[in-house]
Amino acid sequence: MSNDALIAALSSGLAPVQRRSLMREGALLVALCGMELALFLAMGAMRPDMRHAADSPYLMWRVGSLALLAVTACAVAIRSFSPAARTRPGLILAGGLAAAAIVAGMFVTPSGAAHRALLDRIDPASGMVCATSIVVLSLPVMALLGALMRRAAPTQPRRSALAAGLAAGTCGAFAFAFCCPFDDPLYAVVWYSIGCGAVTAAARWCLPRRFRL
Amino acid sequence: MRSELLSRLIPRSSPDAARVSRERPAPPAPDEWGKLMAAAQDGHGGAYRRLLAETSAWLTRYFTRRLPASEVDDAVQETLMAVHRRRHTYDPRYPFGPWLAAIAKNKWVDQLRSLARRPDDELSEEVAVGDHEAAVVSSSVLATLLEALRPAQAQAILLVKVQGYSVEEASSRIGLSPSAVKMNIHRGLARLTALIEKTPDVE
Repeated sequence: MSNDALIAALSSGLAPVQRRSLMREGALLVALCGMELALFLAMGAMRPDMRHAADSPYLMWRVGSLALLAVTACAVAIRSFSPAARTRPGLILAGGLAAAAIVAGMFVTPSGAAHRALLDRIDPASGMVCATSIVVLSLPVMALLGALMRRAAPTQPRRSALAAGLAAGTCGAFAFAFCCPFDDPLYAVVWYSIGCGAVTAAARWCLPRRFRL
Repeated sequence: MRSELLSRLIPRSSPDAARVSRERPAPPAPDEWGKLMAAAQDGHGGAYRRLLAETSAWLTRYFTRRLPASEVDDAVQETLMAVHRRRHTYDPRYPFGPWLAAIAKNKWVDQLRSLARRPDDELSEEVAVGDHEAAVVSSSVLATLLEALRPAQAQAILLVKVQGYSVEEASSRIGLSPSAVKMNIHRGLARLTALIEKTPDVE
């Protein structure tokens, strides 16, 4: 088929299209995260001592840094679905924020935690449950971001998938942060990173498959 | 040394060809093309036809500087199809040029990947078009990019993928086994693709 014939075929009977809107996609993502969090907490998953723990610097650090990371990663992911967007600076920013959050965690370690044995602080048995919960909680957001990515036009689908995975992982971790009973930053850094990392790796592997502009 | 290798492999272009190949693709008119695309998003077929015709000419120049001549038409049509499928993602508040250029670059990388995957035996002498193609390639972005590869990889890609020699012929010219030539082509194209993906834009 010649270029002229292709152009004639594409332009004949052209239907109007609804323009992609970053605001609409962002609102959809916020609504899904909010709904998921509300449903999760309504099921009675919130930690029982939340009222007392809410004032602790540790919980503020955990929830605050995860919220900041989730918002940043979601913005980077949605923005990366545009053809002309550059994803690398956004990913570097998200990585920098994660590193800063980890460093900040050192200042909110509860007194006495530092004297406990490493294995005792990490508690692998509970940690595995935490990491798995984060993965499960991140699935709806990953599905939504995957659908948005396929409908949009990411010209660097691998990086977009990485950003989407990071966004889904941090959203899942944010929701889980309200029910996790462990008050040790080391525990949170290790197992939340494993949970988010697993989601990011899965998204990086799955989302760009069979994707073509 | 790499430049010497390239100049030995590719004949010098004629002054006319050099002038044509030095000519940069005309910069897209962002406002005009953006307005046409905005109209196309609202279902205006005439505006869309004009936009595609103009972008098709731009894309032909773009790919001529980046791909072997036998790949240009495919790349242009693939890009036009992608523009059509993803036209709802264009935001009229921004210029159309970067949006189109990003899609074109993606299709350029796709085309390089498909070149790497294609069995070398399918490329017979019929693909070769002699001096004209070599002249265009000699001053193209592709030739510049090939300089970033190892000499053996650049040599194998030029002979087989650009100039149309069979793997066996290239093997006897280079003095490597056919499997080594194939491996150099495969690795060279993979490296080239990675290089293009890493850079924001290549001119």
